[in-house]
Amino acid sequence: MKYDKFFALAKEAGITDCELSFTTSTSLEISLFHGEINNYSSNSSSSYLARGIYKGKMGSITSDVYNKDSAELFVKKIIENASVIENDDPVFIFQGSEKYRKINTFNKDLGKISPEIKLDKLYELEKKIRELDSRIIEVEAVGYEESSSTSTILNSHGLKLTQKNNNYVYYGASVAKEGEQVKTGFDLFLDNDFNKFSVDELAKSVVKESTSKLGGHQCASATYKAVLSQDVVKSFMSAYISSAVAEDVQKNSSLFVGKLGQKVASRKVTIEDKPLAKTIFAKGFDDEGVATKNLTIVKNGTLQSYLYNLTTAAKDKVESTGHGVVGGGSKVGTTTWYLEMKAGKKSLDELCKEVGNGVYITEVSGLHAGLNPRSGNFSLLSTGFMIENGKITHGLDIITVSGNLVELFNSITEVGSDSKEFASAIKCPSVIVKKIAVSGK
Amino acid sequence: MLSKKLAIEVLNEMLSTGADYAEIFYENSHACSVAIENGKVSSSSYNITSGAGLRLLKENRSVYGFTSDLTKKGLLDLAKSLNKSFNGERLITVNKLEMIRGKNRNPIIHSYDDIPLEEKISLVREGMSEIESLKDPHIVRYIGQFANNHRGVTIYNSKGKWFSRDTEFARLVYSVVVADENGMETGFEGPGCQMDMSFFKDKAKPREVARKAAKTALLMLTAKECPSGKMPVVIGNGWGGVLFHEACGHPLEASAVSKGLSYATGKEGQMIASPLVTAVDDSTIPNEWGSIDIDDEGNPGTKRILIKDGVLKDFMIDDFNGRRMNREGNGSCRRQNYKYCPTSRMSNTYIDNGKSTPEEIIAATKLGLYTVGFNGGSVDPTTGEFNFGCSEAYIIRDGKVCEPVKGATLIGKGEEILKKIDMIGNDLAFGQGMCGAASGSIRTNVGQPTLRISEITVGGRGGELK
Repeated sequence: MKYDKFFALAKEAGITDCELSFTTSTSLEISLFHGEINNYSSNSSSSYLARGIYKGKMGSITSDVYNKDSAELFVKKIIENASVIENDDPVFIFQGSEKYRKINTFNKDLGKISPEIKLDKLYELEKKIRELDSRIIEVEAVGYEESSSTSTILNSHGLKLTQKNNNYVYYGASVAKEGEQVKTGFDLFLDNDFNKFSVDELAKSVVKESTSKLGGHQCASATYKAVLSQDVVKSFMSAYISSAVAEDVQKNSSLFVGKLGQKVASRKVTIEDKPLAKTIFAKGFDDEGVATKNLTIVKNGTLQSYLYNLTTAAKDKVESTGHGVVGGGSKVGTTTWYLEMKAGKKSLDELCKEVGNGVYITEVSGLHAGLNPRSGNFSLLSTGFMIENGKITHGLDIITVSGNLVELFNSITEVGSDSKEFASAIKCPSVIVKKIAVSGK
Repeated sequence: MLSKKLAIEVLNEMLSTGADYAEIFYENSHACSVAIENGKVSSSSYNITSGAGLRLLKENRSVYGFTSDLTKKGLLDLAKSLNKSFNGERLITVNKLEMIRGKNRNPIIHSYDDIPLEEKISLVREGMSEIESLKDPHIVRYIGQFANNHRGVTIYNSKGKWFSRDTEFARLVYSVVVADENGMETGFEGPGCQMDMSFFKDKAKPREVARKAAKTALLMLTAKECPSGKMPVVIGNGWGGVLFHEACGHPLEASAVSKGLSYATGKEGQMIASPLVTAVDDSTIPNEWGSIDIDDEGNPGTKRILIKDGVLKDFMIDDFNGRRMNREGNGSCRRQNYKYCPTSRMSNTYIDNGKSTPEEIIAATKLGLYTVGFNGGSVDPTTGEFNFGCSEAYIIRDGKVCEPVKGATLIGKGEEILKKIDMIGNDLAFGQGMCGAASGSIRTNVGQPTLRISEITVGGRGGELK
C-alpha cells in the first residue's frame, strides 16, 4: 500500500497512534461576461493531513502532495510539532464508532450531462437576466462551477472511512439602475441533481435581488419592530450557535457559559444540527472519524447541548457529538454540518401584517468586521424595506442595524413558514423581532 | 523548479490551439505557525503548498487550471485539457526562455527556516508574560501566535521570460478576551512584515503589541454603546486606511474598472475626491507587508499615484483586464497561491500626508467620533457601498477626546465619502491586513494619516449623539 511506509516509519519513530486523511478533488469553473466565456478553469488537486501522538502530545502536518519523500517528512514534522506542545488537553486518534450511517452525497448522473448542455444553460441564464427587467443595466457575471471530491481517513487503529461528494452551482450577479441609484444583486443555485436547476427561477431571483433595492432611501434613526429575512437569520444564527462550541465554553469565552438547560432564546426558537438529513451537505463522520448524529442544540428556547469533538468531550466527561474538524494545526476545532431553525406557520405577508409598522431587514453585510460573536454585539450595513400598516412599502438605503445576539434571539416573537436553504449549509425561515436599532438619517 | 526544457514543452502544448499568451505558475511554499494559549503552547503546525497553475489567454478570454501533480505527465495532461477551450491555429511558439532579473527590495538576511521553533515560542512568550503581568482578573483567555511563510514561485511565460522569486513574511498576533458581569470584549493586534526576526525585536516588540491588545479589550469593557446617526468622524492613522482600501481601493482595481463595474470607470482626469486627497498604491516600499518585487505575471512592482489632489489618475491593472482598457499591466497582478487565477489587487495602499497635525484635527471638531482601532470591512465596488467596524473609538467633545464607545460601524458610498474628507494630518502610518477577493487572500497594507470626514453614517446602539 502507498501509505504503509508512513505508518511503519511513524511507529518506528515512537509515534504511538497516527492518522492520514486525504482528499482528492476535481473542479470545473466557467464564467461568462457579455455572452462570452470570460474565465474557464479546470482543476485537480489533493490535500493530505497527517497527525500523530508523540509522548502524549499531538503533532501534525498538511501538504498538497504525497511523494517519495513525504513519509519521512511527515513523521519528522509530527514529532517536531508534538514536542513543543505544553497544554494537557487529552488527544485522540479514534478507534472508530460502532456504526456509521451510509450517506449518499455523490450523484453519478451529474458527470454524464454534457458540458455543452451545462454551458447552454449559462448562456440562457445571462440572456434571461438581461431581458427580465429594463432596469438591469449590466450582468456582472454568470457562472457554473462543478466539483467532485473523495475524502478518506486511515489510521493506525485500522479505521478506514471514505466519503464521496459532488455538486454544481449556477450563479448570477446583476446591476440595476434607476435615476442615479445603482444596486447590485447576487444569487446562486446549488445541488447535485442537474434536473432540479431552473434557469427561469434563478434569473428571476438574481434580477429581484438588485431591482428590489432601487428607490430606497434612509429612514430615521430609531428602534423598530422588525421582520428579519431568512438571509439575515442565517447570518445571526450561525454566529450565535458558534457560542455552543464546547472549547469556548470550557475557556469561559462563550455567551453560553453555564447556560446548558437554560433559556438562550425565545420559546419560539428550535435549532438543530442535521448532518444525517438528506441534503448535499450530509456527513457520515466528522474529521476525527466519529459517526455524526442529528442533534437538537436549542429546543423551544432552551440550550440542550454543546458541540463537542473528542478532546473537549473528554474534558467534560461526555461523548463527542461528532463535530470535530481538523484544520491546519494539531488542534482539533469544532463545526456544525447542517444547521436548521424549525419553521413556524406564518407566511412572510402574515409576519409583516403582525409587525404593522416597522422594518423588513433583508440583508446584512460586513459580518467579519461588524459582529463580535464573543460579546454578541453587532452593528452592520443593511438593506431592507419599511413596513407600513402591515405592508412592505419603500426600500431602505444605506442603513445599519445594531443589537446584541442574546437580546435578539430572546426577542423573537414569531417564526415564519418560509424556510430557505443556503449554500453555507444552513436552513432557516424569516422571523419577527421585538426591536432592532436602525441608524439612518 | 521545472527544467526549462519541460517548461517550454508545456507552454507550447498550451499554445497549440491559438492562445495568444500562456503562463506556468509553479509554486513550492511552506508555512509554520505556533500558538500559545493562556501560557501554554497549544498548537504547532507545518503546511506545504505545492502545485502549478497554468493560464492561457486569447483576446478577452482567460482559461486557468491547477494541479498538484507536478510530474511531466500531470502538467502536459492539464495543458492538453485546457487548450481544448480554443480551436484556432498556433500563433506563438516558445523556443527559449530568458531570465528576468528583478530588484530585491525585501531581502531576508536570516531566513525563518533557520530559526528554531523554540526561538519563535520565546518571542510569543514575551508578549504572553506582559499580559500576565497586568494581573487583571477580567482577562479570561489570551492567545499569542507566530506564523511565518516561505513562498517559492517560478513563472514561465510565452513572452519567452522566466523568473524565480523567494518571499518570506511573518506575523505576530495577540488576541485577548476579557469579561465582566455585563459581558465580553476582545482585543486584537497583528503586526507583520517581509523582514527577518529583527522586525519583532526592533519595531513590533511583542510586549508592546500584546499590551495594546489587552488594553484595548479592557478599555472596551468600560465603554458605552456608540451613538448612531450622521456625524463628523476623525479616523486615526495606520489601520484607519481600511476606509480607503474598501471605499476606493477595490473600485480602482482593473477587475472592476475594465468591465465598467466600478463607479470610477471612465473618470480618469476627473475630480473624484476632496482636493486634499492624494492616494497611492506602492508595492516598492522596502520590507513592507504588501510589497512585491515582481507581480504574479512577471511585471515589476511599481508606485502608482491613484488620486492626485482629488483627481483620478490611475488604477491597479493586470495584463488580462488591461486588455479591455487598452493598458498594460502595472505590476498589480496577484494571487494567494497556485489554486487561484491571478487578477489586479492592491499592495501598500494609502492616503498621503496632509498639512494638519492630528491635534489640530481633534481640536477643530466640536462634537463627533474618533476611531483608532478597526476590525476590517467590505465593499461592493459597483455601488461603492462600504462598511467597516471599529474596535476602539471615542467621543470628541469641544475639541477633546472624551469617553470610549464600542460597537461603531461606519457606512457610506465611496465616491461621496472621498469628497467629504475635510482635514488630513501629517502622521502617515501603515497597518497590516489580509485582503480577500477573487484571487484569494493576500497580504495588503492599508495606511493613512489621521483625517476627518465631515459627515458619515455611524451605526451603534447608543441612540443620538449628544
